[in-house]
Amino acid sequence: MKKVKVMSLISIVLIISMLAACSGGSSEKTSKDDKKLTAWAWNINVPVLEAAAERFKKENPGFELEVIEIGREDVYSKLTTGLQAGGQGLPDIVLVEDDRIQGYAESYPKAFLDLSKYGFDEHKDKFPASKTDLLTVNNKVVGFPFDGGPTGVFYRSDIFEEAGVKAEDIQTWDQFVEAGKAIKEKTGKPMLGLDLNNDDGLYRMMMNQQGSLYFDEKDELTLSSQESMNAAKVIKQLKDEGLVKNTVGWDAWISAMVSGEVATAPSGAWLTGSITGQGKDTSGKWGVIPFPAFEEGGNRASNLGGSNYVIMNSTDKKQEAYDFLEFFSTDEETQLEAMKGGLFPTLNTIYDEPIFTEKQEFFSGQPIWSTFTAQMDSIPSVNYTGNYSLAMDESIKAQSESVSGKKTMKEAYKAAEKRLENRIK
Amino acid sequence: MEAKTSNRIEPNFHKDTKVTRNKKIPQKLGMYSILMIFLIISIFPFYWMFIGATNDSGKMFTNPPTLTPGDQFMKNFQNLNESINIPQVMFNSLFVSLIYVVAALAVCSLAAYAFAKYEFKGRNFIFTAFLLSMMIPYQATLIPLFRMMSELNLLNTYFAVIAPQLCYPFAIFLLRQNFLAFPTELIEAARLDGAGELKIFLQVVAPSMRPALAAASIFLFMTQWNSFMWPLVVLNDASMYTFPVALSSLMGLSYIDYGQVMMGVSIATIPIIIFFLILQKQFISGMLGSAVK
Repeated sequence: MKKVKVMSLISIVLIISMLAACSGGSSEKTSKDDKKLTAWAWNINVPVLEAAAERFKKENPGFELEVIEIGREDVYSKLTTGLQAGGQGLPDIVLVEDDRIQGYAESYPKAFLDLSKYGFDEHKDKFPASKTDLLTVNNKVVGFPFDGGPTGVFYRSDIFEEAGVKAEDIQTWDQFVEAGKAIKEKTGKPMLGLDLNNDDGLYRMMMNQQGSLYFDEKDELTLSSQESMNAAKVIKQLKDEGLVKNTVGWDAWISAMVSGEVATAPSGAWLTGSITGQGKDTSGKWGVIPFPAFEEGGNRASNLGGSNYVIMNSTDKKQEAYDFLEFFSTDEETQLEAMKGGLFPTLNTIYDEPIFTEKQEFFSGQPIWSTFTAQMDSIPSVNYTGNYSLAMDESIKAQSESVSGKKTMKEAYKAAEKRLENRIK
Repeated sequence: MEAKTSNRIEPNFHKDTKVTRNKKIPQKLGMYSILMIFLIISIFPFYWMFIGATNDSGKMFTNPPTLTPGDQFMKNFQNLNESINIPQVMFNSLFVSLIYVVAALAVCSLAAYAFAKYEFKGRNFIFTAFLLSMMIPYQATLIPLFRMMSELNLLNTYFAVIAPQLCYPFAIFLLRQNFLAFPTELIEAARLDGAGELKIFLQVVAPSMRPALAAASIFLFMTQWNSFMWPLVVLNDASMYTFPVALSSLMGLSYIDYGQVMMGVSIATIPIIIFFLILQKQFISGMLGSAVK
């Protein structure tokens, strides 16, 4: 009989615990914390939001913000589930990256609050046009601009010195390839790490630099366009000359950089946070040059990454959320704090702060931030669209086929464009 | 882990070791060196995890790789505790997993027993339907389930994490196969002696099925302990997070503190090891004590 008693005891415990769990759930919360806003964000953004909320509170007593820390990819899983379920279980504020936001705004036109109705337009000129264009979807402003990813080529100054190559002299992609050859010859080290079969970050930056992406402003496919061929040609050249170390995944890429196995990493300004964090003992061995152009005197500004804050239409605290985010996006102290965490603010009213011209010890005394601010206004606006991830998938396949020599570059990209056309239909 | 579990139930396990004992020394040597290689391959990830947990994040990226334990153990632990509140997360994970194991084992073993030993109309049809339901991808049920939980106002509760998977087809299948081997005569004898159906199950059938129940428990425990997507979607509060969800929240865009992550992963494996060690006894006692006397 002992067993029966144990079983019944267990079931009683179960029932009680489940009842307790139910009553302590969300239903109670909504009534208790009427004025509290909730936000979903990841990593370094969490303390920035919290500090801003503290400052906002001083002038708005009773204001309360709960930031829920969720992994970057996980935010999208939760956001998609909530939107699919008709806007249930969502917070008031969500952080969304540049390359995702248009997709969400197109697939779920009612998901995000239209900020222009709340008076966002007065702040428009405080942000670069590339950012405000991105956030205007179907004549609605769907989010507050936050950080951006102006690009540059991060390089190991020790390797460049050893090879006797001057990084500042690199103006064009042709010169970049030549410099790579010289470095390879003198030090035996490849110029850069690329994940040729899984990622096309460099291609995207080169496309953005030329004012294009997978789609042009008329939503036409661009995989076989002249811009695309320019970009793909440089990548193929780098690979053919043996200047590419194949690094699979983010960790391998960053590790190749930090351990000095490769000489450069073309990337967004936010890479600063990663290399200063991951490679603490390499201080003084780094430098940054602007992105090389495709022809002499051509555009050297581009963008990779960045994120924005959106207000969910499902919230019943729209005005409160708007007021807070308006403060957050335009408060200089907040944005400078974000910078300390390695994020590059797009609020241009702070670009005259001393930090932007200060010499950075980690980067051999170079004032790297001015390299990035200088290009903010020249970053071309591009069209991400809702089919961005499908297009990226095809672009990576084309890149992989092109560099492996299975197909010629043109064939590979033409075929990818055709496949993409079919997938979108 | 799964493979190990099923190996242990095999009664041939003992015979095999006896055969190898009688083999000649060179053969033994070859055998053991092969085993050593596999041992190292299977142990290395755990060792690497430990190295990561005791070193500074950047050390994981040096060339040549760092292979010795560092002195950052406490620092990583403190950082991780600041990021995810380890005791709370550990409690959430243990609470959810243990309740789940007990409840799911009760549901699944009774269902499996019915499928194995009771004759009723449509038995095979229902059982096949159960098996086929294993083929429905989890993603397909995610949104309807989420909607349901949301409408029942159960989002962000332990109940929502535990309930949907209580009836686990694979566990039912696993247990049914074991129950089928149980002699029906014994059940009939007990019935003739006047025992009730529940009593027969609990006192006659279940004790001799301990190895199978233990195997199913380990499987269920691991399933719930490692479960990620559903808890992620349904929990909305860091104080409710289970281990996988909390660890995933450490992943940023450009900077990941691997010291913290590895420390978290190390801590998260400990309960699984303990759970396995506790239930290991059940395998052995189950194998030694036979039901038919």
